Amino acid sequence: MSNTYIPIQMKVERIEIEDPDKALRTFDLVFVNEEDKKNFEYMPGQFCEWSLLGLGESPFGIASSPTETDFLRFTVSRTGSVTNEIHYLREGDTIGIRGPMGNWYPVEKFKGGNVVIIGGGFAFTTLRSLIVYMLEHREDYGDITVIYGARAPELFIYKDEISEWQKRDDIDIQLTIDNPADGWDGRTGFVPAVTKEIAPSTENTWVVVCGPPIMIKFTLPVLSELKFADDRIYTSLERRMKCGIGKCGRCNIGSKYICIDGPVFSLAELKKIPEAF
Amino acid sequence: MIRIEKERIDEFIRTLMETRAVYAPALDGKNTMFAPVEDPAGIDHNIFNTDKSPKEIFFPHSEVLFEYEGEEIKKVERDVRPIVVWGLRGCDARSLRLLDKVFGSAWQKPGNDMFEDPYWKEKYDDAIIFGTACNEPRSTCFCNWFGSGPHDDAGMDVKVVDTEEAFILDPVSEKGKKFIGSLKGWAEATKKDLATIKAVREKAEGLMGEAFGMEGIAEKMADLFFKPVWDDIGAKCVNCGACAFICSTCHCFDVQDEGKKGKKGKRIRIWDTCMFPLFTKEASGHNPRDMSKDRLRQRFMHKFSYFISNYDEHLCTGCGRCVSVCPVNLDIRDVVRAVMTSEA
Ligand SMILES: Cc1cc2nc3c(=O)[nH]c(=O)nc-3n(C[C@H](O)[C@H](O)[C@H](O)COP(=O)(O)OP(=O)(O)OC[C@H]3O[C@@H](n4cnc5c(N)ncnc54)[C@H](O)[C@@H]3O)c2cc1C
Ligand code: SF4
Ligand code: SF4
Ligand code: FES
Repeated sequence: MSNTYIPIQMKVERIEIEDPDKALRTFDLVFVNEEDKKNFEYMPGQFCEWSLLGLGESPFGIASSPTETDFLRFTVSRTGSVTNEIHYLREGDTIGIRGPMGNWYPVEKFKGGNVVIIGGGFAFTTLRSLIVYMLEHREDYGDITVIYGARAPELFIYKDEISEWQKRDDIDIQLTIDNPADGWDGRTGFVPAVTKEIAPSTENTWVVVCGPPIMIKFTLPVLSELKFADDRIYTSLERRMKCGIGKCGRCNIGSKYICIDGPVFSLAELKKIPEAF
Repeated sequence: MIRIEKERIDEFIRTLMETRAVYAPALDGKNTMFAPVEDPAGIDHNIFNTDKSPKEIFFPHSEVLFEYEGEEIKKVERDVRPIVVWGLRGCDARSLRLLDKVFGSAWQKPGNDMFEDPYWKEKYDDAIIFGTACNEPRSTCFCNWFGSGPHDDAGMDVKVVDTEEAFILDPVSEKGKKFIGSLKGWAEATKKDLATIKAVREKAEGLMGEAFGMEGIAEKMADLFFKPVWDDIGAKCVNCGACAFICSTCHCFDVQDEGKKGKKGKRIRIWDTCMFPLFTKEASGHNPRDMSKDRLRQRFMHKFSYFISNYDEHLCTGCGRCVSVCPVNLDIRDVVRAVMTSEA
């Protein structure tokens, strides 16, 4: 019998600071054991429990794509006790993870369709995974549009990679910041308003929205106004978690467990759960 | 069916103890609970439904998942003898079966052992449950609300009926049949025993209060989610969590590390409850279940709506423990009645 409570060992290979406040760090982890690497199969949208012995566990979305086979990437915002310790990690340190956990964005269903990806703040992690995955399987998808908002220009994560995407002609990147800033010639305004402005066509199109709760709350009505059907809109939920395998009860909403039935849900599914928003 | 005269019960328990860890009802201070048997003569066969629930045998209040030292993880050694439980009541046998749906089976993704809980399975899968039929149910018992009754044997491997003269052992599961079949030197139950069993069963069933109709409660509760009925019920509850800790079917837990980073320590899981605000409070300070009534509603929704959607069963067996323990007399039966009689 396998034991899902026992973490697998990973080594911190690379750390990158994403923002001027140093509150966001990206970690590339590599497997210590070849066997673990072979067994670890995941899809965009899944997450892992980071397991720091003596400190505890915290769930984080996987920011790398399964097509990037050499490492697992995560971006961690410093918010409390565990994440604070994570920020003290150095390259070469060993940590544990458990996973992959949860379901994933329905990339199979998206095949042959256009995909609009709407993100805000540092919740862009699993969206990066999704974008990299789709770009690797570019011929499977129609138009790919990305609408990504941050409070200020320096708060976008994965800036270098986004600049690379902007140079490509097979993906449309629309960045927006909350208020005008020096040296910014892109869009300004909140994500919901910008989404309304861009008004992507609903024709054979799927939407993935991921960001702070407030952004999701105001973006969903805009999408409905644009006539996207509820079962074509996907989002990813967050709740406190512990076990990640549907036992500890912490992430239960309605008859679902976010750790196993989610974190990815369609708006149609969420509308059936009174506690979802 | 075999027959064990009262004088020989210690002898019987001793044969169980040869190869197994036997648990039976015992008095611990002021409370009754299930404890490992050291001397069969010490078992009080008259203890009714124990004050503390037997889920502890398989899902301890605090359980070490593993030990660590620096970055190294060490498995903990456990008593590997299979477990026998003696004297479990029908409601509790059913509770264990319900918990097995959560911990034991990979119901979420059949065939994927990632979703099987090894700590539960290594204890429960090989266990043999001897369940004692209730001849004198209490006023707090309401197992019959769930289609069960004082002589129900669901979840038991061997059903035991106390006929005053003897214990009659009736193997009900495959495991139980194999086990009883392997025993030697015990008499078969007599015709008279069977007649006595029938009589005590009828008497016991007659002592149960009338069952309250619960058909459609899952949908009814879902429809009432935002209704004031929860304010009325919730006003009384002080969110002490006693009901959940005493409950034989509540299974929520927390995971904590004892022992600082880089040092020797252990990761333990420890009972927790949706009744506590910290259960869902997020790092940002936001709490999706901020109000006392949100948390109370969660406990009952889980038992009477969500669990039914997932498993087609109530996550309550009518053991009555929460009724006895609640400091403000919030009776789960009143909650069910209030819900069933409210307008959606
Ligand atoms: C599916 C999912 C994906 C997520 N993805 C990301 C992401 O990509 N990036 C990101 O930054 N955030 C992400 N989060 C949020 C992230 O999990 C939380 O911000 C993080 O858990 C906060 O932990 P903290 O300990 O720093 O905060 P705190 O508020 O200090 O603690 C929160 C919890 O951490 C645990 N904890 C703390 N100390 C201990 C201890 N000593 N022993 C055991 N447990 C302890 C406990 O559960 C504690 O209650 C995600 C959350 C979910 C559910
Ligand atoms: S909710 Fe109350 S009556 Fe039902 S199983 Fe739990 S303790 Fe027993
Ligand atoms: S025991 Fe009673 S007061 Fe305490 S949490 Fe349960 S219902 Fe509320
Ligand atoms: S995190 Fe334990 S049930 Fe989801």
